[in-house]
Amino acid sequence: MLSRFEELDAGRVLGDLDAEESAEWSELAQQLGVSGDASLDLLAAEFEAALSRETAPAMPLGLAERLCPVVEMPAKAAVVPEDSKVVVGPWIGWAAAACLLGLLVFRGGDTEKPTLSADSRRDALLRQEAGLKGIPFAGTTGDFAKAGGEVVWSDGKQEGYMTLSGIPANDPGQYQYQLWIVDPDRDALPVDGGVFDIPAGEGKVVIPIDSKLAVRKPAAFVITREKPGGVVKSAQEVVVAIAKL
Amino acid sequence: MKQCIDVHGPLVWGIVRRRVKDHFAAEDLVQEIFTEVWKSSGRHDPAIASEGGFISMIARRRAIDWLRRQQRLPEMESLPEKSEIPAEASVPGLGMDRDTLWAALQRLPDETRRLFVLHFEKGMTHAEIAELTGQPLGSVKTRLRRGLIEARALLQRDSGGGMNLNPDSLS
Repeated sequence: MLSRFEELDAGRVLGDLDAEESAEWSELAQQLGVSGDASLDLLAAEFEAALSRETAPAMPLGLAERLCPVVEMPAKAAVVPEDSKVVVGPWIGWAAAACLLGLLVFRGGDTEKPTLSADSRRDALLRQEAGLKGIPFAGTTGDFAKAGGEVVWSDGKQEGYMTLSGIPANDPGQYQYQLWIVDPDRDALPVDGGVFDIPAGEGKVVIPIDSKLAVRKPAAFVITREKPGGVVKSAQEVVVAIAKL
Repeated sequence: MKQCIDVHGPLVWGIVRRRVKDHFAAEDLVQEIFTEVWKSSGRHDPAIASEGGFISMIARRRAIDWLRRQQRLPEMESLPEKSEIPAEASVPGLGMDRDTLWAALQRLPDETRRLFVLHFEKGMTHAEIAELTGQPLGSVKTRLRRGLIEARALLQRDSGGGMNLNPDSLS
């Protein structure tokens, strides 16, 4: 019984329990008089931190500033070792309080979305990296013959945007569009650049690229049409548009 | 705090984005996570968890809870407040440095290690891993679960029940 609970508890940590298993976990926890084992939580967290840190995507432009807009760290309190590691120390309480105060003021209520629009963020990226040039998208055939636009991508910032036009609006419940970034230096398989929708009635749409992995030297950007939520590996049955360097 | 966000922001953003597809929901969740990091910072013990591991644990729990709510699955019982971060004495041997962690990973069966990389590094769901590898979903779930338990056992065994924590080398 204990080993079954342990296995279910690992499922809880991995986030893969279905409704039936969740009920079984609760029942066994009650029978055994135990609760979830935090050591498994921590081990999974350490694994994810260690394995994913190098490929972690950059935060969206401005999010860090919105999280903590005005905090200045006192020199004595912030312990920053030479290797740039940060110690979560006593300073974090008041610093975060100041930060969160700024956050609450900035947000101005639960419903307001302070996020900059995608086109503003795209413009900001272009201002910051003057050398970036748009790579034109070419539509394929049929419904997508008129697809066009361009993509800008910064290797350094791991940030990019597509400006798209001529792509038919989609019903997200039926299918969605997905971007793939071809980076032969990295992997033979293209990197998932994010799932997105094209709303009806808009001539030009700016879509932020949401690369799941670090992209070093993209050779092409390919938009496909996939099932809702996107896919891990595209069969490329419906290719919408391609931008090649 | 700004430096904390600068250093760990991408880690938290990555953890959230691998699970939450909606951009705005992901941003909100990141804000909630850093709020909890602030509230829980007094419980962080560098002798137990690396800073990255501590923040990653909060981020993972929040993201998984969010997913469960979206899928209308029952909420899991919260872990008791005081035991959220395992006490060294009550959980002998959980601390680890990067080398120890990698050594444990290398000693797992090849297939389990591959699944760990797909899940923890690439952030794939079990269903996505099953699709990619061609393995039945049930096998993926079981291998990941048992792999995690096995990894913990390896780490505890190596430490003789009292693992030496070296969080500085992990974060």
